[in-house]
Amino acid sequence: MKMRLSLAIASLAILGVHGFVFYQQFFHKWETYQNSYFDQARTLAKTDQEREALASRSPKIEQIIVTQFGSTRVDRCTTCHIGIDDPRFKENNQPYKAHPYTAELGDREINGKWERRHKFADIGCTVCHDGQGRGLQEFYAHGEDEFWTEPMLGYVVQENWRPEFKDKLKGKEFMQANCAQCHTDKDFKSTPLVNKGREVFVQQNCYGCHRIEGISNGTLGPDLSDVGKKWSLNYIHESIVDPRANSATSFMPKFNMTDEEVKALTIFLKSRRGFNYAETQLDRYRATLTKSPATSPESTEPGATTPAVADAKLGEQLVQQRACAACHKIGETDGGIAPDLSYEGLIKDSEWIVAHFKDPRALIPDSIMPTFTFSDGDFRSMAAYLGTLNKPPALNNPQEIYTNLCMRCHGDKGDGHGMIAIYLDPYPRDFTNAGFMNSKPEDRLISSIKNGVGGTSMPAWGKVLNDEQIKGVLGYINQNFTKEARTEIKPRKIPDQNPVAMSPDSVARGEGIYLQRCTGCHGRKADGKGANSLDILPRPRNLLNTAFVTQTNDRRLFESIMYGVQGTAMPPWIDYGLTTEDVGDLVNYIRSLNQGKKDAGLMTLLIRGH
Amino acid sequence: MSEKHNAQEESSEPISRRKVLAWLTSMGIMGSAVVSVFSNLVFIKPRATYGQPTRFSIGTPDDYPPGTRIALGDQKVAIIREGSKMAAISITCTHLGCIVGVSETGFACPCHGSRFDQDGNVTGGPAPKPLPWYELSMAPNGELEVDKGKEVTAGKWFTV
Repeated sequence: MKMRLSLAIASLAILGVHGFVFYQQFFHKWETYQNSYFDQARTLAKTDQEREALASRSPKIEQIIVTQFGSTRVDRCTTCHIGIDDPRFKENNQPYKAHPYTAELGDREINGKWERRHKFADIGCTVCHDGQGRGLQEFYAHGEDEFWTEPMLGYVVQENWRPEFKDKLKGKEFMQANCAQCHTDKDFKSTPLVNKGREVFVQQNCYGCHRIEGISNGTLGPDLSDVGKKWSLNYIHESIVDPRANSATSFMPKFNMTDEEVKALTIFLKSRRGFNYAETQLDRYRATLTKSPATSPESTEPGATTPAVADAKLGEQLVQQRACAACHKIGETDGGIAPDLSYEGLIKDSEWIVAHFKDPRALIPDSIMPTFTFSDGDFRSMAAYLGTLNKPPALNNPQEIYTNLCMRCHGDKGDGHGMIAIYLDPYPRDFTNAGFMNSKPEDRLISSIKNGVGGTSMPAWGKVLNDEQIKGVLGYINQNFTKEARTEIKPRKIPDQNPVAMSPDSVARGEGIYLQRCTGCHGRKADGKGANSLDILPRPRNLLNTAFVTQTNDRRLFESIMYGVQGTAMPPWIDYGLTTEDVGDLVNYIRSLNQGKKDAGLMTLLIRGH
Repeated sequence: MSEKHNAQEESSEPISRRKVLAWLTSMGIMGSAVVSVFSNLVFIKPRATYGQPTRFSIGTPDDYPPGTRIALGDQKVAIIREGSKMAAISITCTHLGCIVGVSETGFACPCHGSRFDQDGNVTGGPAPKPLPWYELSMAPNGELEVDKGKEVTAGKWFTV
């Protein structure tokens, strides 16, 4: 009995479903709209001719096929919006409403009759409005589907968008992003928000990290050349306001921008679609050949002067304006990505800072700091300002010293996993690695603290700390992190000077040995990025790091190669058959990699210290 | 008697209920079958339109001064205006589909030499039929529209 009843119910339910499908297939909303339009038009018709024209029309799918804007578009919007070009319907409600005539868009009134600049028959609808042209149901046509990246700009705000952003994404201004697809002039007056967004992109230093074809060459963040094609407004807006909302591993700082600036930037980014309709295939090919300008033409903002004499006051202004603290720590504001600049005046001189500004990788080869294109005067002013930050923090006991100076990189547990460690290359030293710490003579550890480590982010603390304090902090590290008593280091037989004279032959032999023995970890290019490097901590040394290699004497290179580096993956190569002469060749090869790479001025900076 | 009647009633009642259910079930299934057959008819003639739409705008009448005989290559139609009379004539040859040339005196096909007079009637060559005329109409925005989906009898001019 139960079975029969449920069978009956099930079969009726299936009938219901089939009935619904049938209804969907044969009764369309657009037919209702078109019939209603024809009825209204008939009552409005004045001449027989008009009536005749109407009589011959019946509901059917209207479509415009547009081939001149990128890939072929099929816009069926006029199927529902059938009165779009009928001036008599300008007061009606959607979907019958006629498209307004706007003088700003180039529409002209001639003898009381308006003529459109952008004819729907030529350019369709989605070129300007976005949405899904082929859709015949409102939900799809307006792009309300969650995964459609081009919902109707500024009109459709989707249900699944973050509630606090919804209202900020409304408004027809968002369509400017599409105007800019053809009207690419930098100061096209009808797209003020795109132009402003471009300015914000430069002002807020977005260009330092992001690449946009023809505008910037940043490599730190994702390439934004076609971001407008890939993502919806919502995603772009969200990623600016809250970088970690969409990508949990993003380290993009939160920038302090007004709503208006975020809006302009969103519209500007939405307008970046990789190509624009105004350019031909050939233009595009040429654009990819010519590199983007190294110096941004907008680098001197209005108001920013470039004084001949460095001005610390102006520098302070610039440092604040340019969001340096979005990454660095300066006083109380901390971006949590880059080193603390609060005592920069104590550890670096302005010459070093300016050189670092101009090309961060000249002095620290693996630095991720973007190359900003400010003017020379601005750089000098900013360096002058950083030079004034020379008030040391409280350094009364080793613990305070460690907390204030070391912890940001080396971590509160001394394991090298400090707050900003993952953004540094080489990675900060792990003090809990007793094998390493105790295999190095105390002199060398003191020297690393006092003189810094060339080519890395370790500054020379000798200018801040006296010898006693350095010894104190080393003791603190040993006691709290290494936690193993230092052992006597066995004297080793190591040449102080490379016994093999530098010669092309020696370098060639060294290269041969290098390719056989070293590439697995140090890499074919000797940049420390060999196949095994990802599995190894500490990472293999980047042997192209000129500052480091120059600072390191032959004795240390010989020791590291011959006897290995304890606590790291570097093995003692004399156990694997390398003779002193072989090592000498290797050292010559490594030295040869770093010769003649840098100009003399930089070299003195590198060697003199930091 | 009464016992038998009772028994009959008892036995007839579940049977009729059973019948109702069976009837409902078969209705549901049969109905679904019928409706789905009709729903699937849609796939026999898909609602797709290929290529450019058959109805298209050709601009205002002012764009075509009297005496115009112009071929619109993309749309494959010739627009003729004589005084205030206008017509849209196909320029696809009725023989093998070449595009015919438009001149003052008529149409001529370059492929096999078919000739047509000014109104598209065959005057020579292999073409079997005259060139069709298409419906012209005035859109509410003041632009002329040609509907290639609708042929009109030759000689039916549109007055602007």
